Formats: sequence, structure tokens, C-alpha cells
Amino acid sequence: MAGLTEDPELGINDIKEETERNNKRIDKKVGVVAEESVQGEREMAPPAGGLIHRSGSRPQLDLSKAAIQGNFEERNPTILLPNQSDDISHLALDIGGSLIKLVYFSRHEDQSIRKKTVKERLGISNGNRRSYPILGGRLHFVKFETSKINDCLDFIYSKQLHRGGMDARWHSELPANENTVIKATGGGAYKFADLFKERLGVSLDKEDEMNCLVAGANFLLKAIRHEAFTHMEGHKEFVQIDHNELFPYLLVNVGSGVSMIKVDGDGKFQRVSGTNVGGGTYWGLGRLLTKCKSFDDLLELSQRGNNRTIDMLVGDIYGGMDYSKIGLSASTIASSFGKAISDNKELEDYRPEDISLSLLRMISYNIGQISYLNALLFGIKRIFFGGFFIRGHAYTMDTISFAVHFWSKGEAQAMFLRHEGFLGALGAFMSYEKHGLDDLMAHQLVERFPMGAPYTGGKIHGPPLGDLNEKISWMEKFLQKGTEITAPVPMAPPGTTGLGGFEVPSSKGGTLRSDASALNVGVLHLVPSLEVFPLLADPKTYEPNTIDLSDHSEFEYWFTVLSEHLQDLVDKAVASEGGTDDAKRRGDAFARAFSAHLARLLEEPAAYGKLGLANLLELREECLREFQFVDAYRSIKQRENEASLAVLPDLLIELDSMSEETRLLTLIEGVLAANIFDWGARACVDLYHKGTIIEIYRMSRNKMQRPWRVDDFDVFKERMLGSGDKKPPPHRRALLFVDNAGADVVLGMLPLARELLRRGTEVVLVANSLPALNDVTAMELPEIVAEAAKHCDILRRAAEAGGLLVDAMINTLDGYKENSSSVPLMVVENGCGSPCIDLRQVSSELAAAAKDADLIILEGMGRALHTNFNGRFKCDALKLAMVKNQRLAEKLINGNIYDCVCRYEPLR
Amino acid sequence: MLHAFGCGESEDGLGTELSSIFTWKFFTESIATDGESEKMDILEVGIPGKWEPNLPDGHISHFALDIGGSLIKLVYFSTNDEFDVVDKAGRLGKQSLGKGRFHFANFETSKINDCLEFIQTKQLHLGGCQHLEAPPTDTTIIKATGGGSYKYADLFKEKLGICLDKEDEMDCLVAGANFLLKAVHQEAFTFMHGQKEFVNIDHNDLYPYLLVNIGSGVSMLKVDGEGKFERVSGTNVGGGTFWGLGRLLTNCKSFDELLELSHKGNNRMIDMLVGDIYGGMDHSKVGLSSTTIASSFGKAVSDNKELADYRPEDISRSLLRMISNNIGQISYLNALRFGLKRIFFGGFFIGGHTYTMDTISVAVHFWSKGEAKAMFLRHEGFLGALGAFMSYGKHGFDDLMFHQLIQSAFLAGDKIGSPTNGKLSENESI
Repeated sequence: MAGLTEDPELGINDIKEETERNNKRIDKKVGVVAEESVQGEREMAPPAGGLIHRSGSRPQLDLSKAAIQGNFEERNPTILLPNQSDDISHLALDIGGSLIKLVYFSRHEDQSIRKKTVKERLGISNGNRRSYPILGGRLHFVKFETSKINDCLDFIYSKQLHRGGMDARWHSELPANENTVIKATGGGAYKFADLFKERLGVSLDKEDEMNCLVAGANFLLKAIRHEAFTHMEGHKEFVQIDHNELFPYLLVNVGSGVSMIKVDGDGKFQRVSGTNVGGGTYWGLGRLLTKCKSFDDLLELSQRGNNRTIDMLVGDIYGGMDYSKIGLSASTIASSFGKAISDNKELEDYRPEDISLSLLRMISYNIGQISYLNALLFGIKRIFFGGFFIRGHAYTMDTISFAVHFWSKGEAQAMFLRHEGFLGALGAFMSYEKHGLDDLMAHQLVERFPMGAPYTGGKIHGPPLGDLNEKISWMEKFLQKGTEITAPVPMAPPGTTGLGGFEVPSSKGGTLRSDASALNVGVLHLVPSLEVFPLLADPKTYEPNTIDLSDHSEFEYWFTVLSEHLQDLVDKAVASEGGTDDAKRRGDAFARAFSAHLARLLEEPAAYGKLGLANLLELREECLREFQFVDAYRSIKQRENEASLAVLPDLLIELDSMSEETRLLTLIEGVLAANIFDWGARACVDLYHKGTIIEIYRMSRNKMQRPWRVDDFDVFKERMLGSGDKKPPPHRRALLFVDNAGADVVLGMLPLARELLRRGTEVVLVANSLPALNDVTAMELPEIVAEAAKHCDILRRAAEAGGLLVDAMINTLDGYKENSSSVPLMVVENGCGSPCIDLRQVSSELAAAAKDADLIILEGMGRALHTNFNGRFKCDALKLAMVKNQRLAEKLINGNIYDCVCRYEPLR
Repeated sequence: MLHAFGCGESEDGLGTELSSIFTWKFFTESIATDGESEKMDILEVGIPGKWEPNLPDGHISHFALDIGGSLIKLVYFSTNDEFDVVDKAGRLGKQSLGKGRFHFANFETSKINDCLEFIQTKQLHLGGCQHLEAPPTDTTIIKATGGGSYKYADLFKEKLGICLDKEDEMDCLVAGANFLLKAVHQEAFTFMHGQKEFVNIDHNDLYPYLLVNIGSGVSMLKVDGEGKFERVSGTNVGGGTFWGLGRLLTNCKSFDELLELSHKGNNRMIDMLVGDIYGGMDHSKVGLSSTTIASSFGKAVSDNKELADYRPEDISRSLLRMISNNIGQISYLNALRFGLKRIFFGGFFIGGHTYTMDTISVAVHFWSKGEAKAMFLRHEGFLGALGAFMSYGKHGFDDLMFHQLIQSAFLAGDKIGSPTNGKLSENESI
């Protein structure tokens, strides 16, 4: 227990650059890096080549491309530097009185032999196209007890972190730097400077502790959307903080001692107070009183404690009556440990559990009170608590929150940070010049919750698990551990551990363990190319999720749906990898990992931050990728694409024979009908087993009886075709967010796109960057379009104008020819790999493409219903979906399964 | 220094001065229109004049109780003449016929039977001492405060046949403190680095002040005038915590023993100091010297020592500093919040113990950067009991002016052990 533990890491996946030109520039700038990055890329990273289909030759996107380039110029180098530069270390330390916190940057040790196979699997044959430098890495968070500093030194040595870490392998030709300087903070940075020099030959460059704390906290609060949360009576609630209103705040860092810092801005702060009664006091006194061997043991004991046996409560003094005059209830603690006075008991006569709880209460309450008083003095409303004492422990947080609430009479709020404990180390890391992390925005970080990472980083006694097999073995072990974690922890009888009327916190047992709290923190992928979708009417209030899973019955429902669907998914996934033994083993591991995630979430829905259905679905995809199932539906998608493309010409002929008005209706019907082809919906999976694609499509379209459950078609039609003689101008550019591969896109969205093109509207097909279920990806679309274009002149010319055909046909670099005869059809990736989409985080080229768009069409349940159903935009928006889930139908549109939604929201 | 008062207070810090002495010289004039005999059990106020002893009738008791979580404090008054009075105020001579004494006694709450026996022995519940002839009544009512006045009401009824009339604890504390601050010359003093310094407080400038009563827990009261106050804060880390944790950690048998240990201890053995973290250097940027405690008991973390490996003296010292610091800090923050210049500390935890006073003073000094000073009351510990005593009818204490009280500098606390408890201390004087 006493050993180190590693928290999950910040993953840094760098920008995916899209043009040859830029690509060369990167190569020049960062030297060897580009190559490495291909090796170093983690297995779940986007497959190389995801952006194939925008060539530098597309004139339409020239402007936006410049913007992208701008991003590149501005952000990229700074992000690359910590990885690449030889004179910048990869390690920062926070050496406190009790614990050493260590943050280091690494590339992935798992040298990807897989990279090639990933490409093969994805069917990327034309290797000469480009290898996109997806420069990635992670920040690892490790802690050691200060008393075991030698373990820490050994760890650093074994990983060669003082020499640039694992990257040293790649820089092996370089001589080891004799003068390595490592950023360090905390008191120990002074105390142990000589030791580090002697043992590792490195100099510690002492960074001011407060500077680091504040830098770390500011970074987290700015960069991570759901970093801060409140925790009252066992209930966790995430707080989204407007950056403009962040300052001033009080930062209370509870380490061995407690520092209270008033923060007025970046680098602007003052230590206003503190207390010597902190984590060290808890652990120190606790050790003396209970003989616990570790802080975590002590904390765990408290969970089963009853402080009433030791604390003197108001009720004990007043004979069970409240001292109501001054607002003290009978269960208020009048005097911590006050009962140990009057009894004739010895230390041995008290339960260590009770002692631990009393101690925890005493210290937490005290910290909360002093913090509040200071906040009050400075007129500060927000108090953030961080530091190792907190460590996600529900009782601790509840007690502190209670104290703040109690003393402030509800005026002030205690808030906590998910990455608490590493503020100082993170800040020290950030003090390396030119890392560029300062400028990060929340939308550039994607948080993932892989199963392996917290555990490979959990209790490290050697190099972290690099190999997938190790990870799977670990999974198998985890299965047992996981059941321990989720097992309910016995609670003290209710109503006895009062603290000013505050009864036993209802917090779940699982939140106690540091293991569990490590699970609360995900991996942060840094994707500098992500941007906020510019057409969102109000990004600040935008909430992607339609369904809030904090409603427990709602979560239980989706829990069941996902659980039932799991086996089918595993089968598909295993089959997609040829059904090998390896694939089966990975499939099993995936199923276990995902089930464990679900179980954890069922127990504590807020464990991973604010949870919506979109997050849950994305979690599943991430989990698949983690076990190296790149594209479980690949062969299915191919088959369906082929089948659909085969009937497309007939459909187009049929459509062209119709009047414009009829055609528009038929097209929308077609989109809705084709949307039934969805492997994500269980109801539809059953259908699949019963019919062929075109049969289902026809049957489905025939059933399209208007009015639909939500039917704004007439309004939409009027905008498109006008009424009477009035012919409205066509839209300039439409963004079509497509959903599934196969009939959905080929027979539904593509004909609609064609209609828009025919009317002179530029069309941008927006598809996933990474596979998710049977959703079509941006990488697959060009080939589909190319195939469709063979039979359709409109599509062909538009695709050529959009540069799609050039790419798809593997042409010369100068294949582009100015062809003004058609508006272009383009494809952009949306930047995500989930069936849903969070429009706060989209790819920069989607953001660029959106700038000229005046119509967006969201299609499918994931993007139009589960998310964005309530989203508002700065342009006309059409939301099309067939509801393939009875519960959702009832809840959202008061309808039934297979009802259709055609919601048109014109810009007012 | 202690010219007229307090010789009875030993500075040895052994805690015997928990019961300190009032030596009163009461001058009263009966207000001309006086017809209220019930008003008079103790004394009247005013310019020297005629004093008319009003013997209390049987219904007016002469003692009051403060039954706290750890200690029972008892105040009783007697008009006993058996002591000589050193009358320093000659001009008052002839008329100063009335002499009364306040007696202060305390018992551990766990030994409440000693207290009951003491009352019985002294016949306090019968309206006082030997010279009271009034027959005992069944309905004797005794003013009491503190949580125990609820809890032990039945016991008093059963054993002594008296009803405890519960007075609000805070009311009593404030009444006691206001009385002392106004009526007793040199009641308040500061204590830093072993130096005691009396503070003269202008009555007109007394309010508002912060009264911090450190009993088992800690109450912080903002006092704006007579009977005008508000409990603004408090903390559950108080005397009970010191004693309770101390007992568990050191096996001390009494609070005083634990406190005495602390005198011989060195908190550096257990506390993590700023210097321990910063390798002996000051963390000057934030104004922390290397000897500042960074984390109380923080050193107990990193060692492989067991409890038995630490000296109880060091533990006691660390504990005392932790609690005193904390109380000092929270008090200062509250004073700052309400713009109060003065903070008075009282309660049994202080108990005249030099070391606790010192640590609290240091804490207030530290957090206020020297702006605020902790002050102490010489009769701390009995604020509640005194206040309860004063709540009997209209005794007229309120108007007592301090110059009317003369404290005689004799009678080093003569300890009167109760029959059953040698440790009981009672000091008295006229």
C-alpha cells in the first residue's frame, strides 16, 4: 500500500496535419519526431491517414485552411517541444513533507508494430499517400512517500526519466546531458537537492511552491471542463466555471500542512493563510493512535468508524437535547476527542475505526472553517480544495463542504478538483518554458477513461505495462479486484456521526479507496486541433446530452441496453479481427473492462465526471479501441456499402422522374427510412437478421406516413422551394452530419446531398474521424462518393470540385483542375469517434467549413436525438432521425419506436 | 505587579489557580427608595454610603453552578467574617460593614458525586453556610449553566432536592466576563513569552470585543454590551480535544498532569516544521520561518517509530501547540471579520496555564502580524458560573464599578480539600 501509485495520465495527441506541405514543415521543424510519433502512437490513437481527403488543392477551403495553418503555427510547436527538445526535461517533481508527486511525460513504450497492421486492417493500401504525424504522449502522475525517496530515485533511474525518459532511446545517439536540470517544487526540492545530484546527477531547479500550485490549478480549471465539483452529503455535482468569472478564488491546498492562497489571475496570487493542522496531522496522529501502516489504510478505517464513541457531541453535554438557541443540533461535535476524557478507557479500548473517523472529522472540519473565514475576509465566493489529503475521499469532502456550508450559512461553496494532489507537480511541469500548455482550452482536451491506464499506472513496481497481453492479464486480475471495489462497504449505523446536524454521509464506499479515486480521473488527450463548433448559438449554455444520466433510473435503463448489446458487439469485434484466439481474448477483456466501467458507473454515476449518454457511448468505443478493435463493423460496413451502392442508380433514376416537390419529400422520407439501418439500435439488429437491405429500405420508406411524430417538413419545404412564385435563394453551404454506413448514407444522405448540390448549395459531408459502431467515417466516404459518382454526373462533378475524386483515384499531386461547373462536395471529419457528437469539440476543419455554412442537417439518433436535440444554431438546422428505441421515443417525443423526427429550426 | 491581588495565584502553572480568589470589599449604599429586599443578597452599588446588610432569605441561594463537559465550576458567596480584612481604603472604613466572599471550586464532571457531597457538606443548597438560619425549603432553586445543568438536573433533584434553574450558557459567560472586565481592576492581561502584562481597559471603550471561551469545545462570542452578544463562531477543537487526545497518547491521568508534561516537551520531535521541509531554510517568500510548524504531528508520518517511541512530554507539547495555534487563528479570523480589536480568552483550557496562554498569544500575534493581541482574564474558567450566580434576581452586580471592589493581597489560596477529594481546590478570601 505504501508504494507509489500512478494516476492516469494526460495523453497528448498532437495535431493531425493534413497537407503535404504542412507535413514537410513539421518534419523540418521537429526533426526525428515525425517518425517517432508513428511508432510512439498509442494503440487507440486515430489511424494515420484520417484526413486523407482534403488536399491542399481545394480552392474552396483556402481560407479556412489558412486558419488551420494558423493553428498549426501557433500551437503545434509549443506542444511538441517538451517531447522533443533535448534540453528540456521530461520530469517534474513536487517533493512534499509526506509524499513526492512526480509528473513525467512519455511517449508510448509499446513500440507499435501494430501501426502497420492497423493500417492494413483499415485497408489503407496506398502507403505513399502520407503518414500523418500524430504526435502524442502522456503525462504520467506518480506518487511516492517521501520517506521512501529511494524508491522514487530508483523509479526515475529505471525509466531514465532524468535523461529525457524513454525518448532517450530515440535520441540514443546524443550524449547524455551532464547538466540535466529538473523542475521541482515543494520543500523537499531544497532538502533533497544533494541527493538527486549524487544519485542521478541531476540538478533540481526549484520552482516556488505556490507558483506551481496556482499554475497547476489555473491550468486544470481552464483546461478541463469538469474539473471542479461540489460534494455535499454524498452527492457530487460538477460545476462548470466560466473562465471570465474564475477569479478571484481561494485555493486551499491540503498537503502535510495547509496553504490558503487567494488567486487573482494567472501568476497573480497571495498566500493569505494556512494551518498546521493538515494531512500530516491526520496521518501522523492517526499512525500513533491506530498503528495503521499507510495513509490509505487509515482513511479506509474511517469509513467504518463511529465518531460518537470518542467525540463529545452537543447532545452528550446537553443530555441529548439540541442547543437550539445557537443553532447547534445534538449531533454537533462539541469537542473532538472530548469523550476520551471522562472515560476510564485506554487507547486500546477504542476502535481504531472510530479514532480515524474522529480525527478525519476534526481536521476536515477545521480546514473547512478556516478556509471559509479567509474566503469571507477577502470576499471570495469560491473555495477550491486540493492536495493529497482530499484524494477523492467522500467523507473528507463532505465534512469540508459541510463546514463551509455551515459557517457560511450556505453562502460559500467548497469545491474540489478531480486532479487534486498533483497541482504542484503539474505546475512545476508547466514551468518548463515553451510547453504551450498554458494556452490550452477546454475544447482541446478529450478525456478518456481507459481501463488499463489507471491500473498500469496503479501500483507500479516496475515498468508500466506496455504490452497488450500484459494489459489483458491485468484485466483478468482486475476482475477480482473490481468486485472488491464495487462491493458495498459496511456503514456505521445512521445518525450517529453527527457534525452539526450532519448525519452519516451517504457516500458510497467505493469512493473511498485511492484506487477508486484514480479511476475517477481519466486520460486527457490533448488535441490542439479541436475547436468549438462556430455555429453553436450559445456555446456556454450548450449541453450536448439530451438525456441526463444522473437520473438513476435512466442510467439503469441504458446500463441494461448496453449490457444486452455487449455480446453482439463482442462477436462482431472478434469476427472483424478474423476470430483468432488473440481476438477472442481481447474480446473477453473488452467485455470485462466495459462491464467494469458500467458497474462502477452504476455505483457512482459521477465517477467519471458529468455523465451523459453520449459519454457512455463514447466510453464503449474507447474501450474497444483500447483493446485494439480498430473497427468492429468494418466488414459489415463494406458489405452494406456495396449492396447499397448497387441499388443507388435505380433510386436516383426513380428520384429524377419526380417533380421537385415530390422529390424533396421522397428524399427526406428516404433519409428517415434509411436511418433504420443502425447496428447501434438493438431493435434494428433483429431486423437485420430478417431481410436484405433494399427490402428493409423499401418497406421502411413505405411506412413513412406523414405526419411524422415531429414534422416540420412543410416549413423546410417552403424554405427550400418557396411558395407560389417566390423562389428563395438556395443555401450557400450545407453541413450534412451523416450517421451509418450502408443504406443510411448511400440511399439516404447521399441523394439528399445530391439534391442540394443540384440546387447550387455546397455540401460538406461531416463524418466521424474514428469508427464507432457502423457509423461511416470520413475516411470511408470518398470511396463511397467515388463509387456513387460513377453513375451520377452531379455527384461526379461536385466531388471533383471538392477534390474528393482526386484523392480517391490516387492521382498526381496536381490532379486538381479548376472546374467551376459545379459547387463542390466535400468531406470533413468531425474530430470524434463516437456515435454522438459534442459540438464543443470538433475538428478544426469542420469548424473552418462551418464558417460559410447556412444550413446544417443532423441525421441519426446519436447526433440529432441523444445529443443536440435541444441544440440551437446560428443557421438553419434540420434534425432527421428515426427513433429506434421505445423508451427514448416515449421520453423525447411522446411517441413510439420507429416514429420519425423531422425537426426544422430556421434561423430567426 | 500584583499589588492588591492575586498573590494567591501561583505562577507555577500547576493549575491550582483554577480557582482563584476574589477578595472583595463591598461598599454599598442602599438606594434611598430602596424597598426591594430581594434585591440585596449581595451588595448595592454606589458611592460610599450606608450599607445595610440584607440577609438573604431561604429562597435565595448562594451558589451557582457551571456544569461543563469536563469540569463543574461552582461559585458561592458567603458573608462570613472569619477572615481579617486588610482594608486599604480607609476612607470607606466605617461603613464597610458588609464583607462577602466569593468562593470558587471546581470538580471533574466525571466525579460529580464529589461535587454533590461538597455541596451537601457545605450545606450550600440550604442557602449557604452556618449563619443562615432560614429553614431549608423543598423548592430550593439553584442557578446553573453549562450543558450538564440539563443532563444532571435529575441527579441534583434526587440527591440534594434542589432544582437546577438553567441559565443560558452564553448569557452567563458574557455576564461573567462583562462583570469582571468592568468591576475588577486589572482583570485582563496579555501574556507573551512568559511576560504578563496587565491591560487597563476603558469601560467606555470595552465593546465590542470577542470572548473566546475554551472549554471542552470552544465558543466565540461577539459582545456588544450588557446582555448584547452573539455566538459568531466556535470550534470543536478545544480543551476536550487536548485532554482526550492527550490521554489516549500519553496515559496521563489528569488534565493538569498532561499540561505539566508539555512544559518539558519539545514539539520539534513530532511536528513537521517548515525547516524540516525546506532543509532548514526559511520559506521566506511566504513569510514562514523555519521553526513555523508546517504540519502538527507531521513527523510522526515518516518515522518508523511507534507511539511508545515518542516522549509523552513531546507529544503533549505538540498537541498543546496544535490546539492553541488553531484556536488563536480561528479567533483572530473572527475578530478580523467583525472588526474587533480585543480578543479575550477564557475557559478551563486556559486556566492560567502560562504555556497555553503563550501559544495562543503567539498564534494571534502570528496571524495578525502583530496587529492583534490575545488577552486573558484572571478569573477565566469561572465566567459561566459567575454569570449564573449573577443571574439571581436583581443582585445589582451589573452596576458595580471596578473601583468599588478592592482586592486584598493576602490569603494565598488556601486549599480546602473536600472531604472526599484531595485534589479539589477551593480558594477563598474576603
